[in-house]
Amino acid sequence: MLLLGIETATEQVGCAIGGHEGVLASAHCAKGRRHAENLTPQIEFICGQAGIELSDIGLVAVDVGPGLFTGLRVGVSAAKAIAFALSIPMIGVSSLDLLAFTVRYSPRLIVAAIDARRGELYHGFYRQVPGGVQRLSAQQLGTPDDLASELLATNEEVLLVGDGARRYAEVFDGLARVELAEIGNGFPSASSLVQLAHPRAMREEFEQPEAIQPLYLRRPDAEINWSTRHR
Amino acid sequence: MRKGSIAPAPLWWPTGRVRSEHPCSHPVPLVLGIETSCDETAVAVVRDGTEVLSSVVSSQVDLHARYGGVVPEVASRAHTELLVPVTAQALVEAGVTGRQLAAVAATTGPGLVGALLVGVSAAKAFALTWQVPFVAVNHLEAHLYAALLEEPDLAFPLVVLIVSGGHTMLVEMLDHGDYRLLGETLDDAAGEAFDKVARFLGLGYPGGPAIDNAALDGDPSAIAFPRAMRNEGLDFSFSGLKTAVVNHVRENPDVSTADVAASFQAAVVDVLVEKSRRAAADVGARALALGGGVAANTLLREQFLGACADDGIQGFIPTRSMCTDNAAMIAAAGWYRHQRLGPSPLDTGADPRDRLFHR
Ligand SMILES: [Zn+2]
Repeated sequence: MLLLGIETATEQVGCAIGGHEGVLASAHCAKGRRHAENLTPQIEFICGQAGIELSDIGLVAVDVGPGLFTGLRVGVSAAKAIAFALSIPMIGVSSLDLLAFTVRYSPRLIVAAIDARRGELYHGFYRQVPGGVQRLSAQQLGTPDDLASELLATNEEVLLVGDGARRYAEVFDGLARVELAEIGNGFPSASSLVQLAHPRAMREEFEQPEAIQPLYLRRPDAEINWSTRHR
Repeated sequence: MRKGSIAPAPLWWPTGRVRSEHPCSHPVPLVLGIETSCDETAVAVVRDGTEVLSSVVSSQVDLHARYGGVVPEVASRAHTELLVPVTAQALVEAGVTGRQLAAVAATTGPGLVGALLVGVSAAKAFALTWQVPFVAVNHLEAHLYAALLEEPDLAFPLVVLIVSGGHTMLVEMLDHGDYRLLGETLDDAAGEAFDKVARFLGLGYPGGPAIDNAALDGDPSAIAFPRAMRNEGLDFSFSGLKTAVVNHVRENPDVSTADVAASFQAAVVDVLVEKSRRAAADVGARALALGGGVAANTLLREQFLGACADDGIQGFIPTRSMCTDNAAMIAAAGWYRHQRLGPSPLDTGADPRDRLFHR
């Protein structure tokens, strides 16, 4: 089965096609935050490069976040539209899982962090397991300082990955036992998405398309303000 | 036509329920329209730019009511959840499959950028998957087409008054794709004035229907609110009227709310109707039509048609569900646009400030 992966959780727009033979084609563009403009032409391009028709795809995998709200909505809307148009199943994958997956060969505690704007990060803790990584706790939203204290408290060797880690490098740089992954691993990758989703697709771990929604981890401001006023 | 919340979302996967036909057996141009510029998630199938096969509108008005206005982030999230189920329902009701479509059209602006992007992204993905052209549609151009969609015999030059929460403009339509701006509001849109006055009077949200209702029991001549710029050109101004309402109520705390609502509504409608008939006379229009959410207002509908009859000009008001935001008008405008200009590129984005004029 061929999978199409769509990844738009950060400033980057990515898509990839793959299957049993691994990733056949992929395209990533991190310039200009042009999610809506770039995504469809990029998908058209990789189909051409892989020599397939979009209708040959048997499953759509999508990065559901956490990440940039607008980017996520572009990716999730397009992914659901394609899955609906082809009547094929979907699998949603976390952006933090994708980041951790790229550094899965490290024996250290892996911490993925995505820039959440407003001085906050989305983050998750991972440990290497055979064939990938395992998330150790819930994905969270918090400040870089809080994350730094948590890292210190673990008393472990830590590998920190993601654009959130790099954005607040000055908070994490001085910490003992904490290393920042190189910039090439700064964004979730659509190729990793296809690789991660493929075994799940083989096990038919599909999700109801209705259930696939961006993982926001933050309520709309208006809703927060409203509930504080009406307590 | 369907309006209101969508019935239990149809299962859109697998889609065994949609009868499938040969993709090439449909010579008739069917366009799927998608509208997500504000707080309605709408999808429609229109044949030939004139025949509405389905028009599904899922209104988020209840989601926004407690905030007293549309919250962009709340709207964007709801569009993301609703768009595919609404699309599924529109296709099922029309009895067509995606591969029978001739094009997919979506609103690309003006509107809320985050909300627009949901519709644009899905529309381009549909177009790519079904191998049909994508057509970018200006939301205001679509409002112009609402009247033509229901009354294809309207003669050019046609003058259309678009009145909604975001816009108040008089447009001369000389032909398909050939428009001239005759006048527009210099401050608040008419619908915005309705919302603000309704909120001030404690009538709730949305303001249009609230004022319309309250005015039923009031005397429209009770208070002589100003008719701004009545005799100056074809532009509008409503912010002074809103201030006049506030001042009047502060000075007369015991005034009847129904009278205020009725008098305010009469002042707005007077100016809208007066300028529309003058615009039609100025350009020698053969027909006059209404569009936009405020066109659902009872008094405006009455007086508008009355004025057309008095002036001996063909007047047309689309049904209420065609006046408010819907996707049938997007599909219709998209069809005519596609005939004139062909497909839009797949790297089209949303343009929240897209203008119908000097593009
Ligand atoms: Zn509108």
